[in-house]
Amino acid sequence: MPKEESSKVTRRSTRSSASATVENPEPIESHPPTIDDLTFGDESITLDAVLSDFPGRRSQIFDFIRLMGPLDCPTLPIMIYGGASTGKTSVVLQVLRHLNRPFVYSSCRTCYNPRILFESILNQLLLHRKCSSNGYSSAKRCDKPSDFVNLVREALSNVIKTLESASGTSRLNKPDEKPMGKMVYLILDNVDLIKDWDKGSMILQFLFSLDSVLKMPQLGIVLISGLPPDVYYSNMGYTDPIPLLFPEYSEEDLRQIFLRNQANPKLYSAFLDAVLRSFCRVTRRVEELSTTFSSLFRKYCEPLDDLGISPNEDMKRRLYSHLKPFIAPCLNDIFRVSTHPHDGETRGERRQKVSYSSENREELKILDFHMSTSAKYLLIAAFLASRNPATLDASMFDSTGGMDNRKRKRKASEKSMEKKEIAEQEAVMKGPGSFPLERLMAIFQCIASVGDSSFGEENEGEEEEDATGYDRENNNLMSDILLQVSSLCDANFLIKSGSCPLEGSIRYRSMVSEDLALKVAKSLSFPLAKYLYRR
Amino acid sequence: MGKEIPAEKSLNLIRGRLCDPSFIFGPLSASSDSNYSKLKFIVSTSITEGCNNSILLLGPRGSGKAAVLDLVVGDLLEQFPDSVSVIRLNGLLHSDDNCAFKEIARQLCMEHHLLFSKMASFDENSHFIIAMLRECGLAHKTIIFVLDEFDMFAQARILISFNLLIGKQRLLYSLLDAMQSVTSQAVVIGISSRLDADQLLEKRVRSRFSHRKILFLPPSRDELDGLLEHLLSLPADSSFPSGYVSRFNDKIKNITSDRRFKDILKTFFNAHSTVNSFLKFIFCAVSLMNLESGLLSLENFKAALSRMQRQPKLEAVRDCSVLELYLLVCMRRLEVKEQNSYNFISVMKEYKAIHDSFQTSDYYAQNVCIRGFEHLRERQVICYAENRGQSQTGEYRPMKLLISASELHQGMRSHACCPVSHPSQVIGPLISLFLSLGNKTVSQGPVICMFISW
Repeated sequence: MPKEESSKVTRRSTRSSASATVENPEPIESHPPTIDDLTFGDESITLDAVLSDFPGRRSQIFDFIRLMGPLDCPTLPIMIYGGASTGKTSVVLQVLRHLNRPFVYSSCRTCYNPRILFESILNQLLLHRKCSSNGYSSAKRCDKPSDFVNLVREALSNVIKTLESASGTSRLNKPDEKPMGKMVYLILDNVDLIKDWDKGSMILQFLFSLDSVLKMPQLGIVLISGLPPDVYYSNMGYTDPIPLLFPEYSEEDLRQIFLRNQANPKLYSAFLDAVLRSFCRVTRRVEELSTTFSSLFRKYCEPLDDLGISPNEDMKRRLYSHLKPFIAPCLNDIFRVSTHPHDGETRGERRQKVSYSSENREELKILDFHMSTSAKYLLIAAFLASRNPATLDASMFDSTGGMDNRKRKRKASEKSMEKKEIAEQEAVMKGPGSFPLERLMAIFQCIASVGDSSFGEENEGEEEEDATGYDRENNNLMSDILLQVSSLCDANFLIKSGSCPLEGSIRYRSMVSEDLALKVAKSLSFPLAKYLYRR
Repeated sequence: MGKEIPAEKSLNLIRGRLCDPSFIFGPLSASSDSNYSKLKFIVSTSITEGCNNSILLLGPRGSGKAAVLDLVVGDLLEQFPDSVSVIRLNGLLHSDDNCAFKEIARQLCMEHHLLFSKMASFDENSHFIIAMLRECGLAHKTIIFVLDEFDMFAQARILISFNLLIGKQRLLYSLLDAMQSVTSQAVVIGISSRLDADQLLEKRVRSRFSHRKILFLPPSRDELDGLLEHLLSLPADSSFPSGYVSRFNDKIKNITSDRRFKDILKTFFNAHSTVNSFLKFIFCAVSLMNLESGLLSLENFKAALSRMQRQPKLEAVRDCSVLELYLLVCMRRLEVKEQNSYNFISVMKEYKAIHDSFQTSDYYAQNVCIRGFEHLRERQVICYAENRGQSQTGEYRPMKLLISASELHQGMRSHACCPVSHPSQVIGPLISLFLSLGNKTVSQGPVICMFISW
């Protein structure tokens, strides 16, 4: 018989850890895992419970159960696909809990490379749990698909032998429990993430043809993917698994989902009547809607003293009119998770802030993070450097302070308007321009001095000025400034954009949107609009 | 244990048949000029005459090459119990030559009850294999090498190891060379779905390869009808209740002779031609069987056909929200205006222009639209036009649509996001926006006001 060496990975220990004694030995594992652990484990649930847990997924649940088939029914591989938060993983796991069949679950999000994925599947099949007694190591070391196939064959045949002997003896303890059967199901979640792995396409092809490589009819394979199956088509072929689509929820389903587990369903359903339709126009994903609805519902219930009453028509209208001004700004904030804690004392302050923002919906809001003054000036300087062409610096930053917008008085001809449009389009496509560090410093010095309202002192607007030639007052700021530039780079407000091969200096690019720059300028009371070059 | 209802039993039986290749390809290979007989003839003559041989089995994926080979090998192992041993390699798993030699050595050890050490080096493995080949040749034992996914063994790959250059097909060369020089009896059978797999071989490998090819063509309609009957008819043994078997088989006969069923099959065969896709179709239909009556019906087959014929981009567009549809329509309008490269900022400008001229009520801030874009990108309806340009943020990178105009139009027409009482109030204006393209002065068009009543 072939004998293979055991593959315990021996770890090299440092001198200090080898000499240190263990202070608190951990308690010994209560029990090693058994074959029963391959099923879901908790109390099994009825089909009605599964159907009521997942409103709107009735047909998909029935389809999945039919594809799985009755007990011990061989099956071809199945692929379940759909958008995010459509309930794929939870439906699969709950159906397997209902059917009480043994399964092995691995997600390609937590197992982020092939070795971890293979070892996780093997650990579950070999009923091996990582604990301190075995040094948190896997049962077998496996990083190649060829080893995986051999090891899985062995492990699966052992598991199936155990299952067959277990099903032979009658189970006396729980007579109404469903039998476990003789098949094991392998569930791989987030298969679409494998595309970004190293050699991902080979691994994907291997997984899709796993059933024909293994040739074991007692293994059923279920793949869960966020992307539709046609994404995986490549010039390496394989046979398609059977697809099962989980579409996005419709409005009716969303209403039922949100009405579950609510303390006061009538009140909440009145609330949903008011907001659901308009929010569904933006997105229909449950996770994005639920964060917005929870904060909006709090606002909705503000005028009510007793949250347990069921509203009549008149009250509904009153509550809706109270809520109405908040809906539109909330729509624009729908993907933003608020950083402010929700407690009752700050309610007055929040109302004030919200009313301020509802006044000028499209206008500026307050900058909601803190930056030092020099960093703010640097940010504005970078924004200007990216937006304005370099040749205009001299005229822009001269002693009169700001470009004279009254220059353009000539009526533009048709051809030049066309040229202007094309130039505008090209500018939009190119994005913000890049600039060397010296130009940034020069602009920064100019506008920082403008902010200090000391006009006549500086008249340098040229690019190539040496930074240390400036006023003594600003000299001690220079080292700080270079530090600020690197921290702005870390915060992704500036990015390094490649160096000019002739000059050798690094060029930067500003990644700040115009809204943010206007907000920062407003907080400094800096007239940004005067310095922006508009074609 | 316990009583199984007959419907479940028959379902188990049929599904088991569908997942068992030998059951399916047995009757298909029964005739005398089938691929099965040809293959069996070649291999059995090389076993009896003690000569070397190499064959390629070619055909599209799912036409049963591996299944027929398994049938042949099974028959030969029965016929010549002691003089045949089989080594199986797969191009997916063992394309690396180190891996391949290790696997061959391991399988040879298992056959001949020898000890196998995982730590053996590449050279040791190759010496061992050559020695085994010689021994088996002297003992008049034939080794059959089955190389699945043959084209992956033959493909040029860049490997990190310094002694493996691009294009060296080391395993194939050593196998075929050993067959020629050592006194060995070996048959190398390659299986590939690339019809030009032998063109991929290097000159020296090709010269040692006998150019025998067996093509696996799609089966004819008669063969498939016979297969259908063979699969779906229940055996008349006593494990089923007596009336059930005859009722089931009669229902099958009714369905297969129905004209609508023949139409369904014709539609199916317009798109799929291999045996495996046919099996998947039957599997879908059978799994939809009504468990109370225990009989198949025509509706099962219709539903299975619609499941096999998916329209993925249509599904993606149907899952979009109204804002995302607006963004798609804006991108399409930019394309019609001959602006072939556009990025997020230009799409936002178009969006604002539409809002200004058409007074739509769906005008959202930029951060909301960016998330809408992200959702569209996740669903693979749009993508970035070039992969480089990573130094730009997502807003400035050029994008492109991955769906065509007609798909977008069809998706919008069948979109479900409209209340029942106002069927076209939401999507209708979008469609007219979409259709009123090509006009630069858009403000001349009709003003469409949208009223959403609470």
